[in-house]
Amino acid sequence: MIEIRDVSRIYRRGADEIHALEHVSLHIARGRFVALMGPSGSGKSTLLNLVAGLDRPSSGEVQVAGQRLNDLSEDELARFRARHVGFVFQFFNLIPVLDARANVELPLLLTKLPKADRLSRADTALRVVGLAERSHHKPAELSGGEQQRVAIARAIVSDPEIVVADEPTGDLDAKNAVEILGLLRDLCREFDKTVVMVTHDPRGERFVDEIHHLDKGVLRDSVAGGGGA
Amino acid sequence: MKYLPFIWRQLTRNKIRTALTAGAIALAVALVCLLLTMPAGMDAMLKNLASNTRLVVVNEGGLVYGLPYAYIQKIRSLPGVVGAASWTWYGGAVDLDKGVEFPNFAIDPEAVGVVWADYNIAPEQLEAFRRTRNGAIVGRGTMRSRKWNIGDEVAMKGTAWPVDLTFKIVGEIPNDRAPHLWFQREYLDQALRAAGRNGLETMGIVWVRVDDAARVGPLLREIDDTFRNSEAQTSSETEQSYFKNFFSMLEGFVTVILLVTGLVALCIVFIAANTASMSVRERYGEIAVLKAVGFSRRLIFGTLLAEAVLLSTLGGAAGALISFALTQVLRGASGWNPSLGPLGGFVVSQAIAVQGLFLALFVGMISGVVPAFGAARRGVAETLREVF
Repeated sequence: MIEIRDVSRIYRRGADEIHALEHVSLHIARGRFVALMGPSGSGKSTLLNLVAGLDRPSSGEVQVAGQRLNDLSEDELARFRARHVGFVFQFFNLIPVLDARANVELPLLLTKLPKADRLSRADTALRVVGLAERSHHKPAELSGGEQQRVAIARAIVSDPEIVVADEPTGDLDAKNAVEILGLLRDLCREFDKTVVMVTHDPRGERFVDEIHHLDKGVLRDSVAGGGGA
Repeated sequence: MKYLPFIWRQLTRNKIRTALTAGAIALAVALVCLLLTMPAGMDAMLKNLASNTRLVVVNEGGLVYGLPYAYIQKIRSLPGVVGAASWTWYGGAVDLDKGVEFPNFAIDPEAVGVVWADYNIAPEQLEAFRRTRNGAIVGRGTMRSRKWNIGDEVAMKGTAWPVDLTFKIVGEIPNDRAPHLWFQREYLDQALRAAGRNGLETMGIVWVRVDDAARVGPLLREIDDTFRNSEAQTSSETEQSYFKNFFSMLEGFVTVILLVTGLVALCIVFIAANTASMSVRERYGEIAVLKAVGFSRRLIFGTLLAEAVLLSTLGGAAGALISFALTQVLRGASGWNPSLGPLGGFVVSQAIAVQGLFLALFVGMISGVVPAFGAARRGVAETLREVF
């Protein structure tokens, strides 16, 4: 599903070069729940961006869902993301002027589905995350945990193969964090999604199938997670 | 179309800012629409106001110099002249503190029915005007504004001549376009003599009615030739030409107003652009999220530009409506009254409203294009890193 081969990512800031990733190789199989862990500045978010098609590597090769992302244009990357990737962010990043249903519907605006089908799918996605009855509430009227559930519904509404989550529990209390981790695990188990999550949260270790530790842009080790035990 | 609800929600997220920006655009478009009515309004006014077979004869040196009253007989004797009437400015004021509130002239009563036949003054009123030494005929506009009726007596104090006169209203010019008060020239002449002054020996304007429009050109030359090398040379023209020249003096003024309007519109572009920039800047994070979920640069650019254009178009439509309503109110309030200048002729036509809307569209496009382009081309990963 995801193939990272000898990938480096170098940013230039003025005359300085910042090596965010150095010669990272990684294989993630379909349907796996994977955590990328490491201290701040270790390169885990950079790796997530490459997997999600938000960024391109300076060298090496990124292949996701059978597509080589290195050479895709901005528009082709946007189409790739719309078709194959769902996003969950730390701060939920819902559009505040839209209610939960309209937020979930957003990725479907990029499809040719008629409005009735779009809304029906948005309702289904909200039902999957347990928020069917809150569909007409705006983000400000929802708790942090509920907002993150709406964000997950938005991520899965277009039925992507991959869901990327950047610190999805970073802004939640313990109870909600565990619920969200459980929900992401269920996406893998029940809907065969590949979930790649960046996290600092040690609670995540017992939900994921595998954990990849990064430090200073280098992949240090890969270990098995608790797998939802 | 499927993005319209999304665009509308974004547009109304800060209602006060949106309303203020739309209000500024509406005001600018209303102003432009009103000014665009000026040329057409003046033309319409000219057509209504002036006749092609009525001539105006004044002193070549200007209105203030006057003409010897004896000229009128010579003019009346020229072939093609149906009638001629003199106008002499009285400058009467009902209340000296308020000054002269409507034009008033001493006039030759016997020629009124011929020279201003198109005014349709009732024959019995014209007859009463001829018979009544202190009789006056007053335009309907002035009659209404001062709540006067036929039979009323009006006392006025002279500002151009040192005599105060009392008039009896014996007739009305049945048209809102005429604000004048006319009274007998002889009445002023006698009042001056009674006050120990010389009589009325001059006149300000001679109005001449010609029997055939084809004779107007030769007659204009003939009148001026008749008085060439005399003590007061004349300048003759048709009434339409006379008013056209008067309006042409306003053209420079109108040009300045249009220039200022253009600058105001430009300021509105800057205001709208600033609003669009602020609106986009505070949504960089959201825009990055939209890009992340698959919105292309072109789509981001399109929706942001559409937002700016929708806002300005709504503002423009409101502005066009405001200007239309304002001109209707003006027409209703003031009537078709030349003393109010071109105001009465202002009509916001469909074409002018469309021009106003195009201006609004232009403002929207110009103000929205730069912030929309900037937001569309920002890198998504870079923005997500900066914002979150």
